[in-house]
Amino acid sequence: MSVYKRTYHSYMGEVTPLRTRFLVLTRYGFSDVWSSRITNILFAMCFLPTVIGLVMIYVMNSDVAKLLLGAQNIRGLTIDQRFFFGVMQSQCWLALILTAWIGPRLISADMSDNALPILLSRPITRWEYVLGKLIVLWTMLSAVTWAPLLLLWGFQAYNAKQPWAAANLFIAGGMVAGSLIWVALLSLVALALSSWVKWRVVGTGLIFGAIFIPAGVGGVFNAVMRTDKGFLLNIPFMMTILWHRLLRVPALFFEQRVSLSLPEISIALALMCAACVLVLHRRIRAREVVRG
Amino acid sequence: MNIIELDGLEVRLGGRVVLDRLTGKLAGRAIGLLGPNGSGKSTLINTLLGFHEPSQGTARVLGMDTRRQGREVRASVGYMPENDSFIGNLTGIRFVRYMAELAGVPSAHALERAHESLFYVGLGEVRYRKISTYSLGMKQLVKLAQALAHGPKLLILDEPTNGLDPLARQRMIDLVRDVRDAGDIRLLISSHLLRDIDDTCDEVLILKAGRIAAISNLEEERRAHRKFIEMETAGAGEAFANAIRELGCECAVFPHDRWKLVMPEQVEIRDLYAVAARQGVQIRKMHHRRDSLEDIFLKAMDSELGVTRVGL
Repeated sequence: MSVYKRTYHSYMGEVTPLRTRFLVLTRYGFSDVWSSRITNILFAMCFLPTVIGLVMIYVMNSDVAKLLLGAQNIRGLTIDQRFFFGVMQSQCWLALILTAWIGPRLISADMSDNALPILLSRPITRWEYVLGKLIVLWTMLSAVTWAPLLLLWGFQAYNAKQPWAAANLFIAGGMVAGSLIWVALLSLVALALSSWVKWRVVGTGLIFGAIFIPAGVGGVFNAVMRTDKGFLLNIPFMMTILWHRLLRVPALFFEQRVSLSLPEISIALALMCAACVLVLHRRIRAREVVRG
Repeated sequence: MNIIELDGLEVRLGGRVVLDRLTGKLAGRAIGLLGPNGSGKSTLINTLLGFHEPSQGTARVLGMDTRRQGREVRASVGYMPENDSFIGNLTGIRFVRYMAELAGVPSAHALERAHESLFYVGLGEVRYRKISTYSLGMKQLVKLAQALAHGPKLLILDEPTNGLDPLARQRMIDLVRDVRDAGDIRLLISSHLLRDIDDTCDEVLILKAGRIAAISNLEEERRAHRKFIEMETAGAGEAFANAIRELGCECAVFPHDRWKLVMPEQVEIRDLYAVAARQGVQIRKMHHRRDSLEDIFLKAMDSELGVTRVGL
């Protein structure tokens, strides 16, 4: 084609590799996400616990800083797994807020104007479409969870006397594993809900609802059935137990009264992820499926 | 080369047979897909794009199996869906560029192609406006632009004139003709409007209740009918009949000076007028059959299913 001649000519140039074509979706997804000022503010806010953690690690490892602050004899604060658990918990809940903002737009923007037939008529599969969108969320959430946590751990390992790093390697592993489970769960829940609702406000509300409402239902179930299996619907509770176990933080009093095992929690979380995948499988189609 | 090959293609949706053992080959430059609402036109297009999996049989597009080579098929195809399908909060240029990039055009080229496509379809002036602010006609055009931007080998248009006013419809038809005449692209146009297909296509597949009612080469039909003339005269006699026969026409004379002629390729209608003028004959009425597609369609709709080739 030519702008001034306005005649049609086919494209004879090079084409991008088929296998990485879905990354176009990721690139446009990032572009859409970062076009909002609120995203910038939320993203910056998510690093607040990390910055505080960095300052605390610096102070705890620097005699000069302690002297200047007049805090030579700080008691009760040590840079151990409890400290990292606290920072990790803060990071992960802030990640939920970030997800609630950016998640609902990712697929619903395509669904609201019925763009899926056009998008999927390109040489990408349905799962590549989901993967392209998932990478956007996964990258954003990774940037505010395990990546800064590892940075904190590395900073402490650098400042602390040896062999702190070798003795506390499990903390780094636990933080990465715990964050990745949380990021995977949040990403799938957000995408599933994004494919289900067309409006961002509703999507944002539903993401919080999907995390906290089952907890209430589980509480009612516990009370009525006189059991503690209702906690398997309580995502915040399960994640807390999981993070505690991964970081080897001693169980709190309320945890000791609940008899949830790690396999039970893992199965419950896996089922939730599977339910999200099922929703995506049903919703991400170029055409509505006719049911006879 | 066959553009579309169907071999016993059956598609079931929700347990219901929507396409029933379709078999046929289509090789036209612009193929029309005709049929009443619910006849399976859109389902056939979706199957060709790999959106629906055949329950039996195969469909091939440009020689590629839609089941096994769906991705390759979609890489060679530009698709303009029937209903609204766009991302409303993107500008026209960004949307078309996005679609071109997904089709494999590198980013910088995609931007260039997006500008060209939008100018080509007549949306050059509004390309920086959000699509949600476009009129219905403009939305149809932006769908056409995104289908063309990556330079597909086959352009599939599902009801391209849907909801357009007469002027916009004519503009769309002109664009489709222009694309067709570019020569290096094939078209598959689905419509329930005979006129759209008649104006743009040279081959037609007619569907009825999920089965093929007819496959017809419109170009051949048009050629045949252009040479078939019915006329009424005044003052014509044996001399006029002989003069026409000398031109190479076959003719039959009926009461009330009604004539039926079959003209050979090289004879034009003006030759008849010239003969009539020389003989002092008045040609009061002349009719050469033009509604071949309508005839084919009506015949296909009236016929029992299972007919695969229809001609008049």
